[in-house]
Amino acid sequence: MSNFIQLVKNEQIKLYVRKATWVMFAILALIAILGAVIVRFIDDGSLQEYGDDWREELQEENQQITQQMEEANSDEMEFSEAMNPATLERNNYHLENDIKPQGYDAWKYLYENTFLASVISLFTIIVAAGIIANEFKWGTIKLLLIRPASRLKILASKYISILVFALTLLLFLIVVSWTVGAILFGVDGLSSNAVILQLDGTYEQIDLFKETIIAYGFKMVNLVMMATFAFMISTIFRSSGMAIGLAIFLMFAGNGVVLFVSQYDWAKYILFANTDLSQYTGGSEPAIEGMTMAFSIIVLLVYYCIFLAASWWAFTKRDVAGQ
Amino acid sequence: MSNPAMQLIGLKKTIRNKPIIKGLDFNIYPGEVFGFLGPNGAGKTTTIRMMVGLMKITEGDVLIEGKSIKTDFKEAIKHVGAIVENPEMYPFMTGRKNLEHYARMIPGISKERINEVIALVGLEKPINEKVGRYSLGMRQRLGIAQALLHKPSILILDEPTNGLDPSGIREIRRYIRDLAEQENVAVIVSSHLLSEIELMCDRIGIIKNGEIIAINSVNDTMEQTELNDVYIELDNVQIGKQQLEQQFDKEVRMEKDNIILSAKKDEIPQIIKSLVSENINIYGVYVKRSSLEDKFLELIGDNTIE
Repeated sequence: MSNFIQLVKNEQIKLYVRKATWVMFAILALIAILGAVIVRFIDDGSLQEYGDDWREELQEENQQITQQMEEANSDEMEFSEAMNPATLERNNYHLENDIKPQGYDAWKYLYENTFLASVISLFTIIVAAGIIANEFKWGTIKLLLIRPASRLKILASKYISILVFALTLLLFLIVVSWTVGAILFGVDGLSSNAVILQLDGTYEQIDLFKETIIAYGFKMVNLVMMATFAFMISTIFRSSGMAIGLAIFLMFAGNGVVLFVSQYDWAKYILFANTDLSQYTGGSEPAIEGMTMAFSIIVLLVYYCIFLAASWWAFTKRDVAGQ
Repeated sequence: MSNPAMQLIGLKKTIRNKPIIKGLDFNIYPGEVFGFLGPNGAGKTTTIRMMVGLMKITEGDVLIEGKSIKTDFKEAIKHVGAIVENPEMYPFMTGRKNLEHYARMIPGISKERINEVIALVGLEKPINEKVGRYSLGMRQRLGIAQALLHKPSILILDEPTNGLDPSGIREIRRYIRDLAEQENVAVIVSSHLLSEIELMCDRIGIIKNGEIIAINSVNDTMEQTELNDVYIELDNVQIGKQQLEQQFDKEVRMEKDNIILSAKKDEIPQIIKSLVSENINIYGVYVKRSSLEDKFLELIGDNTIE
């Protein structure tokens, strides 16, 4: 076991000794910081704070909006005005349910940054695609495999190393987003509630802390699937370029493909119809009728096992011959 | 002789129905340097890859200290240190980081041992530089260092003198001889250059088209077989020629200040004595082409890659 930890340590060292890895962290930090600056200094009303007389304030705002909507010519609507019906509805939700609107803070910013999980996926795919293929490219695979460690152990150490890397990026994103959010927007206590637009167009109050964890969790499912896919391609073809290209192409084109063939029954067995588990939450309809969360989890597990089995076969059963 | 360090038993490799290695049988013993000689494409590297488990064995087996590389990989491979083809290292890490990386894969290698092998291959100065900046010679040394980390009883070096300058080659030769003689390591050295192998090996196995066509002990070859073209530089070529033709019944040719004949190694002192007795001054004796090289070329013939 200690032997295995040493192997994972080796992989981590090889990862962090390269500048490209640090560039990934820098890019992630930069996006998180820039995002916060944009939200902070380009005011679209979301930063508005409400005082103790928030009920009157909201009513006043509603009146203004209604007036604006009546006057406005629908042909020349500005962006801020286009938001009006939504704002009106949100304000009404607050008034009807007697919930004080909360200001924008670090937790809210962290929640909104879940979309950056795709960036983490992208970086993890790049690392997963290279972790085996590069050893072949550098020729170091030969020296790696003539040690008293089985090929399976070496493969597993590399796979675990990818997951550790993804987790590190995720923690980094969370810490940076929250810290930047705290500096620019402040912190509104630990359990922050927020009123969020649901996918079906209604508003609902949610526990932001819990929702954040769930949202990142769903993104991680997609990340693990795509990283495992890239890992498999990299192990089979021993080429990182091919693995990166295929995985990223499928990550972006996958949903389109599913949409394109969604009228067929077999479409629900496509990996990409199932990677987004959030499709079963928030009152939204799944991509294809008749799919359930349990169905998707089973499909994902089957794919996952196939990916790992294919990597295992390609890595442990095949000869390491000349370039 | 002691138990063999490595045994090849009917070793065969077939790739896509094409026999690449057609059944190798030989043993390598502790303390000897075994030269694995053959032209490019003869199957040297394929054999080495099978010895260290990088390639599956189609038929036969390789036993290392009695353990099969096929069925007991971990126990077998821990006795082996190797460079397969080029000594490729992680170019973005320093020499020391590379060694530490490989040391972590084998339990029980201390910091002192790492320093010891660095000193052994004489890389103390550039060890903290990135390997990407190393010359081929430095990488070759680092490759030997990583192969020696765990004090293997068998060292396999694939073309170890590739890309080295003459002084580097001489040094590597010295390490290899020392390892065999002092540490009782069995060393397998592959090469396509006879002159190199001849200088450092005790035995030579010649491989051609996937078959061992001869295994010779280097010293045997030197003493018993004819050395073609022994050049002797003299002041009086005519008398020298007559003297040797009478006394040794040999065909002697002349070329400028030299007489040329073929002789066995142990005949040469007698030849010199007889020339000296006739008051002929000898300025030099050279052996232009060893018989081993002739034999090698003769055995190899045209190495057509089938």
